[in-house]
Amino acid sequence: MTRNKVLKFGVLTVMAVIVGRLFFIQILQHEMWTEKAAAQQTLTNTLPAERGEIYMMDGSEPTAVVLNATVYTVIVDPMLADQEAVAEVVGKAVGDKLVAEWDEVFANRNLRYYVVARGVERAAAEQIAEAELTGVWLQSDTERVYPEGTLASTVLGFVNAEGEGQYGVEGALDGRLAGTDGLLKTVKDVNNIALSIGDENVRIPAEDGENVVLTLDKNLQHRVEQILASESERLGFANLSAVVLDPNTGEVLAMADYPGYNPANYGQVTDISAYINHVVEDPYEPASVCKTFTFATGMEYGVMDANTTFNNEAVTYVDDWPIWNAERGAFLLGQQTIQTAFNYSLNTGSTQVLRWLGGSETEITAQGRERLYEYYHNRFGLGEYTGIELYEALGSVTEPNAEIYGINSTYANMTFGQNMQVTMIQVAAAFASVVNGGHYYTPTVVAGTMEDGEFVEAAAREPVRETVSEETSAKMREMLYNTRKAWRNTGLDAAGYYVGGKTGTAQVIRDGAYVLDETGATYIGFGGTDGEMPEYVIMVRVWEDGKVAGGQEHALPVFNALKTAVQDELKVRPAGM
Amino acid sequence: MAPQTFTTRRGTRATAGAASWSRNHNTVRHTPKTLGSLSNAMIVGVLVLIVGLIYVAQGTQATNYDYELSEIEDEIAELTAKKEDLAVEKARLTSIAAAENSTVAAQMEDGQVAGYVAE
Repeated sequence: MTRNKVLKFGVLTVMAVIVGRLFFIQILQHEMWTEKAAAQQTLTNTLPAERGEIYMMDGSEPTAVVLNATVYTVIVDPMLADQEAVAEVVGKAVGDKLVAEWDEVFANRNLRYYVVARGVERAAAEQIAEAELTGVWLQSDTERVYPEGTLASTVLGFVNAEGEGQYGVEGALDGRLAGTDGLLKTVKDVNNIALSIGDENVRIPAEDGENVVLTLDKNLQHRVEQILASESERLGFANLSAVVLDPNTGEVLAMADYPGYNPANYGQVTDISAYINHVVEDPYEPASVCKTFTFATGMEYGVMDANTTFNNEAVTYVDDWPIWNAERGAFLLGQQTIQTAFNYSLNTGSTQVLRWLGGSETEITAQGRERLYEYYHNRFGLGEYTGIELYEALGSVTEPNAEIYGINSTYANMTFGQNMQVTMIQVAAAFASVVNGGHYYTPTVVAGTMEDGEFVEAAAREPVRETVSEETSAKMREMLYNTRKAWRNTGLDAAGYYVGGKTGTAQVIRDGAYVLDETGATYIGFGGTDGEMPEYVIMVRVWEDGKVAGGQEHALPVFNALKTAVQDELKVRPAGM
Repeated sequence: MAPQTFTTRRGTRATAGAASWSRNHNTVRHTPKTLGSLSNAMIVGVLVLIVGLIYVAQGTQATNYDYELSEIEDEIAELTAKKEDLAVEKARLTSIAAAENSTVAAQMEDGQVAGYVAE
C-alpha cells in the first residue's frame, strides 16, 4: 500500500469517526443536548407580585398601616472575608439586626456561607456595599412593615417567613393581598442578561395584590386599645375585647383585643392565643345580653311587651331543673314587668317569655323552641357565620327539636345567653339590627381598595335581611335605654345623648359543667343623638381564667369609657347642639 | 472563451458595403459586464459580507438594547424600593406612636373636657 493510500485511508477513517460521532450527538442524542442547551441559554425567572398594602381610615382619608419594605440579608464567606474588617463595618452598620457571633462565624473558615444579619434596612446595606468588603454580599428581600406597632394586631395578622398571610386580614384576605406572580422566560447571555432574540420568549407580568382599605378608624382604634389596656390594669383582668360597629352599615369602626402583639415580631409571641381575634374567632356564652333577642322575639310574636307582667319567684323550674336569678332581692318577688326583668336581668322573666312563645304559661313547648330558634338562628344569625372578611368561628345554637337530654332547659338557658356558643361579632351584628330598625347588615372590615393612589370605596351596604319590625326595634331601643338608666346606672350619659345597653355575666363551663369560681362579663349597647337613630354599637367582653367578672361591675365601666371615646371620634353631637 | 464579435446589419452595411447585404441578419453584441477589474463573484461575496455584517450589527444593537433595558429595569426596581422606603418612613413619622412621643407632644398640655355650644 502506498503512502498516499495510507493517508487517504487514515483521513477517511478519521472522517468516518467524526461523522459517526456527530450522528450520535446530533441525531441520536438530539433531544438531550437540546434540553441541555436550552437550560444553559434560557433564563427563567419568577416575577414576584408585590403584596398589597393595608390601610385604615384616618377620618375620611385612608392611611397605610401595613407596607412593604426592601430589606437585606448580610452573608459572609468566612474563607474569603477578613474578620476584623467585616466585624467593624458590618457590625457597626447592622446594629441589632446582627444574628451571629463573629467568633462563631469565623470559627470554621471552610464554611462558605454564613448569614450574619437579617432584615437590614437600605441605608445600612448601602454602607456595607460601599465598603466593598471581600467575602461579604447582600441579598435583598421584601418585608412587611407595621408602622403602628401593635395597633389592631389581631385584626391585621402577619405574614410568615414563607410569605403567607396568617391570622387576621393578612390570613383571611391572603388571596387578594398576595397577587399573582408573573414569569419571565427568555434567552440569556453569559452575563445572565435577558435577550430579546429567540422566538420562544415568554413574559407574563405579575399581578400585584390589592391594596385593601379597612373600615377601622385608626384614631378610634388607638383610643379603644388604650382604654382596654388601662381598664385591664384598673379592673385587674387579663383579657378584654371590644368591637365598635356602625349599625347603619355594618362597618366595623374598631375591633380590639387586649393584650395584643406586634405583628413585625410575631415570632417572639410565646402564647399563641395572642394571635386570636376574640371578637370573631372565639365563641363563648354572652349571657344576659341575649335577653335583648329573647324579648325582641317575644314582641315579634305579640306575646309580650315591656309592660307585660309575670310572677317572679327568683327561681323557676324547667323539667325539674332550677333556673335561678342572680338578683334575688325581696323587692323583685311577685308580679314584675318584663322591663324589670330586663333591668335586673331576671332569668325567670326570659324563661317565661319562652313559655309564652310556645303558647303556654307553665311549659316550654316545641313551638316555643322553634320560634326562638327561628329568630336566634335564622334571623339574628347566632351560631352562623356572619360573612365578615375575617376568619370566623361558627359557634353553636342547638336546634329546637334536637334529640338531646334537657332540650327544654337548654332553650331556657338560651333565653339568657347560656348553653349556646356565639362570637362577639355575631351578637354585635344581631344587636345592631335590633336597634337600627330591624335591618341586618353583614359586618364588614373592608371599606374598599386603593388603586393608583385613589380610594375606591366598596359598593353601598345593603341589609341582607330583616330581623324585627321597625316597631319592635323602637320598643327595644326604649327598653335598652330604660335598662341602662335603671338601678345603679343613673347619670352615666350626658344630656342630649340616647344610650341603651345590657349587661351579661356568664358562668363558664369546665370539664362539661358550669363552675362557680369563674364568670365572663359582657356589655353591649348603642348610642347616638337623642331623638335620632343610633350611630354606634359597642360590645365589650372582660374575662380571665379563674376570676369572676361581672357585666355590671367590669364590662359596663369599659363600655362607658369606650362610649365617650366613640362619641368624640365620631363627633356625635348631643341633641339641640 | 475568446470574445466574440457580432456586427450589426447597419454596421455591416457601413463597413462591408453592399456585398454583405442580407435580410434579417439582426445581431446583438454581448460583452461581459465587469466593474473594473472585479468579478461578479467577488461582488456577490462582498454583498453577502455586507448583509452579514448588517445582520450582526443589528443583532448586537438588539443586545445593546437588552442591556439598556436590563439597566433601566434595575433602575426602576431601585427607585421603587426607594419609594417604598420613603412611604415606610412617612408612615412611621406620621404614626400615632411617633406623634405621641414627639417633642411637640411632650410640650403640650392635657386637653380639657369640651362641650358643644348650642346653635
